[in-house]
Amino acid sequence: MARRKNKKGSGSSRAPLAICIGAAAVLVVGALALSGGHKHGVSAASQNFRISDYRTDASRFTNNRYSIEGRVENIETLGNDRLIAISIPGNKQERLPLLVHSGVAQGVNLTRGDTFLFEVECCTGHDDEQKEIKGVLVVRRVETK
Amino acid sequence: MKTFYTMMLLPALGGFLYGQMEPGTYAVSPDLSGTQQNNNKGKKQRSSKGKKARDNRADDEDDEDVDDRPSRRGGGGSGVNDAGEPENPRLLGMEMPLLDPSSDTVTYNGGKFDVGNNAIVRARFEKYLQQNPDDSTEAKRYRQRMNDLLKLTQNNARQHSEVGSQTLLQIGRGLYEINDYSGDAGQAATLASAIASALAVQYANRDRERKNEQLTKEIEKLVRDTNIKQTRNENRPTKEVGTGRNRRLQQSQSKSNTFLIAEQTTEIATKKGTKVKNDADSIAATELSKVNYQSTLISFLMQRRFEHALIGSFAYRHIFRDGDNKLNIKKDSQASKVFEGGAGVPPTVGTIASLAANARREVDQNMEAVANLMAQNKMAEATQHLIEAVAIGEYMPSVCTFPTESRRRIAEFWTLRKRSLSALNARDYGTLEEIADKMKEMDVDFDDSLLRTYCEGRKLQSDMALRNARKAFMSGDEEAATEYAEEAALIWPRNPHLKEMQEEVLKLDNNAALITEFKTLLDRHQYRTIYNERSKFKVVAIDPELEKKYEECVMLIGTIDAMLQQIDVAANQDKQMGPCMAYEMLLDFMDKDPRYMEDSAFKDAVVRFKVDAQDFVRALDEAKVQEERREYGSALANYYRAQCLCMPSNRAKEGIERISQLILSAKFPE
Repeated sequence: MARRKNKKGSGSSRAPLAICIGAAAVLVVGALALSGGHKHGVSAASQNFRISDYRTDASRFTNNRYSIEGRVENIETLGNDRLIAISIPGNKQERLPLLVHSGVAQGVNLTRGDTFLFEVECCTGHDDEQKEIKGVLVVRRVETK
Repeated sequence: MKTFYTMMLLPALGGFLYGQMEPGTYAVSPDLSGTQQNNNKGKKQRSSKGKKARDNRADDEDDEDVDDRPSRRGGGGSGVNDAGEPENPRLLGMEMPLLDPSSDTVTYNGGKFDVGNNAIVRARFEKYLQQNPDDSTEAKRYRQRMNDLLKLTQNNARQHSEVGSQTLLQIGRGLYEINDYSGDAGQAATLASAIASALAVQYANRDRERKNEQLTKEIEKLVRDTNIKQTRNENRPTKEVGTGRNRRLQQSQSKSNTFLIAEQTTEIATKKGTKVKNDADSIAATELSKVNYQSTLISFLMQRRFEHALIGSFAYRHIFRDGDNKLNIKKDSQASKVFEGGAGVPPTVGTIASLAANARREVDQNMEAVANLMAQNKMAEATQHLIEAVAIGEYMPSVCTFPTESRRRIAEFWTLRKRSLSALNARDYGTLEEIADKMKEMDVDFDDSLLRTYCEGRKLQSDMALRNARKAFMSGDEEAATEYAEEAALIWPRNPHLKEMQEEVLKLDNNAALITEFKTLLDRHQYRTIYNERSKFKVVAIDPELEKKYEECVMLIGTIDAMLQQIDVAANQDKQMGPCMAYEMLLDFMDKDPRYMEDSAFKDAVVRFKVDAQDFVRALDEAKVQEERREYGSALANYYRAQCLCMPSNRAKEGIERISQLILSAKFPE
């Protein structure tokens, strides 16, 4: 299971504040540890992300961010935006659709058959009629593996 | 010309004169020979027999037919027949048939008869066709002698000289000589006998003339003697003179003369009476002789013995030298008009000669036309001309010597024509068209358009009536169905669809329960049951609507079975994607025709492949559900999942394209 980044970390009382600070410290230490072994961390996250869960209910992952390694299998284009389908290593029977906005993959040439590291966020968008488009993984950053 | 044909056809229609015409033989036909255009053109032709007990519709049609047919009975002396047409002329108390050349029909006794279709003419013509040409030595000698006799009489007629007894005897002897020839049928002897009889009367008249001359002389002598006696009596003195003895003597002589005068006067009167009687006898005998002789000439004309009629006519004025050639027919009588030809001129023996001469020419021209037409294979016209030639001049040399091969060809065409008439009377239009084809083969110019149009029209009428009968029967109106079926049978009794209809109706009657069962299965959508027992339910095809549904059922299930068989084969070829593709194909078929899902075999196949391709099915189903919930990320992932399991899947591909476009078009937070 990928890690969830808590955006609501402050308490209202002092005691819990101490606990929170402690926890924040732990997180900072953890983050440092992760930054020291970056590749390993992304790989672990992608392994924990289960496409079968995503297929069942993607909205469950809304606002979550994940780092996922995957091989580009398909690319759909509209303007400068691209919708790519990647396969996660060890699971050839599934594809994970990712939305790559223009400018996100600057410096990275997304080509079919190559493997990349994707930092994604599960978002809900809107169409022209302001109807919801739920559970879409939007790529925030791409790196070449 | 009308009169001419009338006379020529008298013997051809001899049955009329002898009352041999059967009422049932009347039949008028359209022009099947291609040349006849009778006045019933385009009308329905039916025999006068068997036109009873028909339904109203048929009666209407028959009424038209009846209206077309004039009554066979004449107006009985009123001068107008039942059809409102003037009666034919009468000769010797018999009505004379008249031929209308514009329609080739003969009017007799109120009826119109097609010359080519009349039973008598037909029989004579058929007999003629089967005879061998009469060109034997005996026949040639007969014709030569007949020509000699004709020339003999014609030469004398041209010279305006008296023929004399010797020439007449020569003619008579010549006629008796050729009498042996069987083809003459004793007509030459009849003419010779008529001439001899007429001459005998003339001799008797001469005897009476001689007697009258003697009587005249005797009367003159008696008159002179009587006058002398009378004068003597008158010269005697009126007063008595002399003595007694002389006075008595004078008185006695005077009385004696008076008696003699009275006796001679009586004798004169008797002789004058005898003379008058002789004159009257001569006149009566002459008139009777003329009537007999003229009757013989007319008889020859009626029997189409034109040479005999000509010889007799030319000899007439030499036998009866009083210059009176007028026919002894009552003036202004119908028969008189026949011979006058409408010109108002009294008929004479010359009229008979003229008619006979014209007839001979007409026959020869007809035979010439026959030969020319046959050379061009125009059999219809040739047949028609030959009928006319035979009807008018059966005994003419040109007709008698017509070659056997030509007769055979005409007979062949004639047989077809006769069969066509029979087929027409029997309303067998199918056979009629076949015969028309054969006639067309024999004669490319044969005009069969009228015949074909008529046949096709009648066949169509019958078929339409049958269609109405079928519809009425299906709707349960059996009375109307029967009526329509009867109408169809009346119009075309041998309509092949009649038997089909009959069989269908019988089957329908016997299979009412089966039809009910079929309808029940249809209502329950149990098409496969119908298909499995399709041979049993085939009888419902009697009803066009049920037939349509039956065919739809059989077609549907047949298609499903064939399709399932093919899908099974394809699915077995690829164990992984095969079931997925099969399932998707079944879904596609189901979308096209919802009835597929009503079939048990189809449903079984769907269930079976659904199990075999459960991951694929689940992915598609999940994608569909998520799409409906607008969970497009999940939906798209499911479609990709389905595509991974079955790459050729159209449903997966379409889903991916559809949702990809939606996502790419949407706006997401940066």
